[in-house]
Amino acid sequence: MENEFTTVGKRVVRSDSLAKVTGEACYTADIKLPGMLAAKVLRSPYPHAKILRIDLKRALKVPGVKAAISGFDTYGIKWGVFRYTKDHPMLPTDKVRYIGEDVAAVAAVDEETALEALSHIRVDYEPLPAVFDPEEAMQEGAPQIHKEFTNNINIHVNIDVGKVDEAMNKAFLVREDTFKAAGEAYAMKEPYAVVASYKNGFLDLWMPNAGPHVRAKALSNLLKMPLNRVRIRHINSGGAFGGRSEVSPGDLIASFLSIKAGRPVKLVLSREENATSTRQVHDIIATVKTGMKKDGTIVAKDYRAVYDGGAYSSTGPIATSIPFYVYEECYRFRNVRYNGYRVFTNKGIRGMYGCHGRAFLAGNEAQMDFMAKELGMDPVEIRLKNGLTSGEVTATKSKITSCGLKETIQKASEKTGFKKKWARTQRFKGIGMGCVAMMCGFPMGFRSGSSCYVKMNEDGQVTLVTGVIDNGQGNESLAIQVASEVLGVPMEDINLVNADTEATNLDPGSYSQASTFVGANAVKVACENARRKIVAIAAQKLGVKEADIGLKDRMAYSRKTPDNKMRISWAAREAFFRGEPIVGTGSFFPKIDFEREWVSRPWGQMAGTFSFGTSVAEVAIDSETGKVSIPHFTAAHDCGRPINPMAVEGQMEGSIQQAGVATIMEGNLWEGGFLLNPDLLEYKVPLACDMPDIETIIVSSRDPEGPFGAKEGGLTIRMNAHSAVACAVSNATGTVFRELPLTPDRVLNALQRKKGVKR
Amino acid sequence: MKTMKVTFHVNDEKVTLHVRPYETLLETLRERLDLIGAKEACGVGACGACTVVVNGIPLRSCLVLTPEVDGASITTIEGLGKDGKLHPLQEAFMEKGAVQCGFCTSGMILTAKALLDRNKRPTKKEIIKTISSNICRCTGYKKIVEAVEKAAEKSV
Ligand code: FES
Ligand code: FES
Repeated sequence: MENEFTTVGKRVVRSDSLAKVTGEACYTADIKLPGMLAAKVLRSPYPHAKILRIDLKRALKVPGVKAAISGFDTYGIKWGVFRYTKDHPMLPTDKVRYIGEDVAAVAAVDEETALEALSHIRVDYEPLPAVFDPEEAMQEGAPQIHKEFTNNINIHVNIDVGKVDEAMNKAFLVREDTFKAAGEAYAMKEPYAVVASYKNGFLDLWMPNAGPHVRAKALSNLLKMPLNRVRIRHINSGGAFGGRSEVSPGDLIASFLSIKAGRPVKLVLSREENATSTRQVHDIIATVKTGMKKDGTIVAKDYRAVYDGGAYSSTGPIATSIPFYVYEECYRFRNVRYNGYRVFTNKGIRGMYGCHGRAFLAGNEAQMDFMAKELGMDPVEIRLKNGLTSGEVTATKSKITSCGLKETIQKASEKTGFKKKWARTQRFKGIGMGCVAMMCGFPMGFRSGSSCYVKMNEDGQVTLVTGVIDNGQGNESLAIQVASEVLGVPMEDINLVNADTEATNLDPGSYSQASTFVGANAVKVACENARRKIVAIAAQKLGVKEADIGLKDRMAYSRKTPDNKMRISWAAREAFFRGEPIVGTGSFFPKIDFEREWVSRPWGQMAGTFSFGTSVAEVAIDSETGKVSIPHFTAAHDCGRPINPMAVEGQMEGSIQQAGVATIMEGNLWEGGFLLNPDLLEYKVPLACDMPDIETIIVSSRDPEGPFGAKEGGLTIRMNAHSAVACAVSNATGTVFRELPLTPDRVLNALQRKKGVKR
Repeated sequence: MKTMKVTFHVNDEKVTLHVRPYETLLETLRERLDLIGAKEACGVGACGACTVVVNGIPLRSCLVLTPEVDGASITTIEGLGKDGKLHPLQEAFMEKGAVQCGFCTSGMILTAKALLDRNKRPTKKEIIKTISSNICRCTGYKKIVEAVEKAAEKSV
């Protein structure tokens, strides 16, 4: 069964890696165009202030300056993903709402000139009272950041299923805890950059992005240009992790500057600007109340989660919801109430993150362990008891079609000897487990589907055209691998044309975990359509039935008599003779409930399928300093059939770094509206020496709808690795954690909180 | 503006340039010589994306001023392969899946190259210690360590 495929399921070398190891791979900042100008942005020094006047005149007089703009040069259209969240002008004219907000910009012959010109822009501000804490911002009388949103409540998601209060009253055991977590820095290795080139009414753009089609649409609105004149071009991306999903102020700035100057413009942000002025991760406070039966069955959940939303709506409704959903897609909740509030503060613009919601998720899991203990159960038993299985329906009415949750729990616990270690905890050592489910794509209206076009040239080589984008995960290679399998030609025979809005068709992008389940499925359908044409010709030429034709190694052959064969390229040439070239188009649209709406109708099928995973962390605490180390980390992941197991492992390992190890070291630090650690000297990301010994386990299952049975690969671990570490530290300290990251001071406090622990 | 004359070798080719005294080696490589494999990710020496090998030593080119490399011999990622063949490290990074977004890759490979040049069979510990000078945000480092181990085996 495992050998039925030629490339699918194999540890193939990624198609993009050659250019990356030779230094030839081109990223946005590497682009050079004739006459290209350098842009710089003037940013707000105030967290909240009225803009009285912006004067660009003196800046424009600096020799070498070719254009300067402020919000008064734009159409003043506000961006928002949803009808009810259009509040972000990108270049404001009324007031600034965070330190680092884009206020004006110049394009000049070089960076130095542009920087000098910035110092000649005059902006008059009238500072306003500001608010930085979401709980304070919600209070009556707090400074109002947007007048349309009373008490700064940007989004309120209310989900209420079953009879929560009644069930809670009847529960055998009830526990309530509040958890806090600082937002992390995306710290993608590549600082944000945009190149815009406007010529003859057409605008070409390059930037790291997680969905070219969505980006083009946003810019077409903001620039009042038709979609076919705003072209997002293919470019390599140095990491996204959720932070490159939405249109960025820099996109608009570079575009307007290029339009004004009539020359290409490159804007490269510094590391600090990337942290203060692209997207940031939400800080979260989550109160989790859980009721259980004596046997550990969860009978009720009551949640209040407050998300520090920063200055604008961004993907607000989604950000306010996702932590809840990935949890309710994992466990059986008969009675559940969720009140999620996303609140405006005078901090930077925020977005989704691959590890989004760690206070909520880790909080739930750590609390569950302590409740289990009270009931005489262990973390494995309680998770198996409450975990969803195939065929079940979640609290908000999503059907789970394929589910390997149980296997991931069992495999991860067997591998680590979890039960034994949990039963006899050694001093200052701990073990913890985190589980979660992950939607493979979520509703994005008609943008939820993907289409692909494939053609075979007369030499038998293939061109594959798809909107699928790669931010480093390996999506390009994935698309090629799937095409290679279907068409029977090696991966190197396939040229990929992707993520270029003038050549490719709508695709959801790579931020809803849709690339495999949706994007690669469309590739598969297109290639199957092309394959049928090859097969028809081959069957005729070889004198066998179509059902007998196999395609492999550039050959079409009879499965019964494999020596009876011909080159696939002959079929391609024959097809041209017949005036019916080997081409195929294909689309895939997931079966989701499009009536579903994040705020007004939060129920119905969320995604075509869900992936599952379990992480187990083993930690040791230095009782003197409170420093946590993570010697071992084990992750088991049901990703359906892994198309390239090596790539899936890579995603899991990266997740253990970015979510797991981050739990003990990563968090943005604020002084009011001022980000204290915007660079990589102050913000420590895990290095090789910080990493645990990693064991990854792929629980291969077959999703009925996924391409070759595949689902999303890796994000599940990104959304539960923090839980595993937080649970392990809670296990080691004997008390449920309260705040992330688990820095030495907090861990020492926890040790002291726990009576009876001798230091 | 006052400039300084600097002569050095990059990937075995001699170059002579007139640069501003405060120009960094990273700027010189990227802007003047079109060697874009060295990346700028922090500009303050914190991440290693800009690493190139100068006289056998891996240096952060964002912290080196070009006049300082007068007379030096520099290897960048573009000069690593010889005679159309990839360096064993490049091959190993591909085969082991040590490359994701690729933004750290040239710096990682060059850091590892300098290690292997002075120590043909480093232990896993030594590899981890050495590459801890460089940040990778994508891979979790496991496959990078494996790739360096593999390349070390191959080049013996
Ligand atoms: S760019 Fe030189 S060390 Fe980061
Ligand atoms: S591969 Fe992305 S930073 Fe290393």
